[in-house]
Amino acid sequence: MQKLQILADSAKYDVSCSSSGSSREAAGRMGNGHMAGICHSWSADGRCVSLLKVLFTNKCVYNCEYCVNKRTNDFPRASFEPDELARLTIEFYKRNYIEGLFLSSAVEVSPDYTAERILQCLELLRYKYEFAGYIHAKIIPGVSPEILHRIGLVADRLSVNIEMPSSKSLAAFAPQKKPKQIFAPMRQITNTLIETRSLKGPGTMFKGQRLNTEANYLGPMGLGENVMGQADESDPGADLPVLARAAGAPAARGKGTFAAAGQTTQMIIGAGGETDAGILATSENLYRTFKMKRVYYSAYIPVVDSPILPDKQTAPPLKREHRIYQADWLLRFYGFTVSELFRSGGENLDPDLDPKVTWALRNLDLFPMEINTASYEELMRIPGIGHKSAKRIMHQRRFAAVRFDDLKKMGVVVKRAKYFLLCCGRYYGNRLFEPETIRNSLLQMESGLQLSMFDNDWKRIEEGERQEKLAAAGVI
Amino acid sequence: MIDYLYDGTFEGLLTCIYHHYYTDKAAGIFPREEYQPSMLHGFMEVETEEDKAARVYEAIEEKISGYALRMVYRAFLSDAPGKETVILKFVVLGFRIGPSIGSLHARPEVYALENLVRKVGNERERMLQFVRFEVMEAAGTSPVAATGAAHDVAAAGAADGELAERHAAQILYAKIEPTCDVLALAAHHFAERFSHDPLIIHDVGRNKAVFAYEGDWYVADFDGTHLPDGTAILQSDDERSYQSLWRTYFDHIAIKERTNPRCQKNHMPVRYWKHLTEVNGLTGPV
Repeated sequence: MQKLQILADSAKYDVSCSSSGSSREAAGRMGNGHMAGICHSWSADGRCVSLLKVLFTNKCVYNCEYCVNKRTNDFPRASFEPDELARLTIEFYKRNYIEGLFLSSAVEVSPDYTAERILQCLELLRYKYEFAGYIHAKIIPGVSPEILHRIGLVADRLSVNIEMPSSKSLAAFAPQKKPKQIFAPMRQITNTLIETRSLKGPGTMFKGQRLNTEANYLGPMGLGENVMGQADESDPGADLPVLARAAGAPAARGKGTFAAAGQTTQMIIGAGGETDAGILATSENLYRTFKMKRVYYSAYIPVVDSPILPDKQTAPPLKREHRIYQADWLLRFYGFTVSELFRSGGENLDPDLDPKVTWALRNLDLFPMEINTASYEELMRIPGIGHKSAKRIMHQRRFAAVRFDDLKKMGVVVKRAKYFLLCCGRYYGNRLFEPETIRNSLLQMESGLQLSMFDNDWKRIEEGERQEKLAAAGVI
Repeated sequence: MIDYLYDGTFEGLLTCIYHHYYTDKAAGIFPREEYQPSMLHGFMEVETEEDKAARVYEAIEEKISGYALRMVYRAFLSDAPGKETVILKFVVLGFRIGPSIGSLHARPEVYALENLVRKVGNERERMLQFVRFEVMEAAGTSPVAATGAAHDVAAAGAADGELAERHAAQILYAKIEPTCDVLALAAHHFAERFSHDPLIIHDVGRNKAVFAYEGDWYVADFDGTHLPDGTAILQSDDERSYQSLWRTYFDHIAIKERTNPRCQKNHMPVRYWKHLTEVNGLTGPV
């Protein structure tokens, strides 16, 4: 009990909780994978609980500045036994509390020692307990390729945390983690995914392209070292062969047995001095180079005192994190590039408006677009239209013209979209077609619509108070 | 024009649609118990007839589409008042237009039906999310035999003695109160996922339950305490401790600095909390 408490407390700053992207038949075992993923609960911070997210141990030999588990932080430590954690996962899964296990860990003794223990736990879970649910395993930088490969064979998703958006911050905040150690396993995962023909890539970024080809194979001089914005000349990583293959590990084992749900990573926002443009450029590199499924962002929450980090009173930059996620979606699903988003407009995203609106206002010469003639890609660029409504519009156009009144029913956010489109030649924005005017009307609308996402003064209305309010309003 | 009253079954509703074409145009279709006689139309109580229902069922599938048929069935499971009339209007339009009705999202008849379908789909999704099983034991007899599942325990036992023994000793039991009647829509998911264990998902409001074992399932009436053959079921010994472990985990996984109860409740509406182990008994957000 105590142990679960400690190791959940230590794991909660890991962000990913997704259980999607992998579909598995139970085939006589317990459980299966659900392609779309299922969230089973939402904790008090509003984040979904899909997987049992724990650390295998929080006893750490590293001393990363930002981390709650850093060596010099004085607080309770604990470790699971492999079988203990496997059993707990099974019992939780059986009760439909979770979709599976998200297993991360601090570095106890050495990366390999810890990874061995994690592997032991996951193999017990898969083979002894015949667990067919979802497993997301964190790979600790510096782990040996053989162990990584074996973890990949039992896990659905692997992730190596890049931690910081630039190598400068990484050197400052996590001096024991080297870019080389982070990129080597990333590269190995991508290459093995190519070998098993299961590399899918982020969102719709590479839609229609064949990814599982030799050309995408990351050689030992892979672009990895340049991902964080500066070349690490002292360490070209030339001595890093693609070890999964070199070690004689089973190549091309057929269909998707290795990390079927792909690879992800996460980085911390607001600890170092990076700009939004820098952060997103790093993400874009990760997507283009490693073809990762996702990059997760986590607003830095000051958990430890440190002279080089924001002090403990700083509120986590939740709004910034939110805007970065929005921009990230634009990269993966909407065909935007980072340079487009930041062309002629500073290094940071506009905190008041979402990045697609900001982009549209800067490129107003492309608008208004005629709904009935625009291509699918163009429709996707109109604020307030997403892939579902864009598809519906394309679909209906084959039978009948789309009228303005139809848009709402198709799921378009008309309040936002109306400033940027024409419907059968008519403009419905009712405002001067100028960036400032549109911006102001949108801001007015947003303040009514979105502020509530982050206000903290919400409180539970007591039953008595509720009755009073209803009475006052004449309802009862 | 006439109002048709039916018995609340899907077949009954289809029979009414049959009468709309062969007896008299329907002004609306209503469940018998809830009907308020209208000043404008007469009404007729429709006897459910299997063969008439089957004809409409097949006609929808052939002349409109299998997709439309599934939509109609899902909409029927909704708890929204007036769903019958929405279905009637959709089917009538469907017979006129044919398969392409599925893409006419903006037609009011289609839009109304799609809304119902979406709500039912959401409710099903919520079931997959919020069903919480308790591990139970049947008093006395083997729970596998007691749930009446078709499969033989001995066959499973031969494959893996130890596992079968461990699994067969317990039943997974969950209580739910969904707004729409989505039990059957969610049954397959759970039956497949937990095929080792006999399981019961009990719709408390409608007094029925899904019984599933080894991938097969059926829906039957259930009172919550006794299995179809009369065996009582009791909570197993370590159930409490796992529940409290889960609660502990749940409380500790939240990040204090990001507390956002509104967001939590948006995703996990309070009406489901009653049967959620992790929040049950907690008075409010931490």
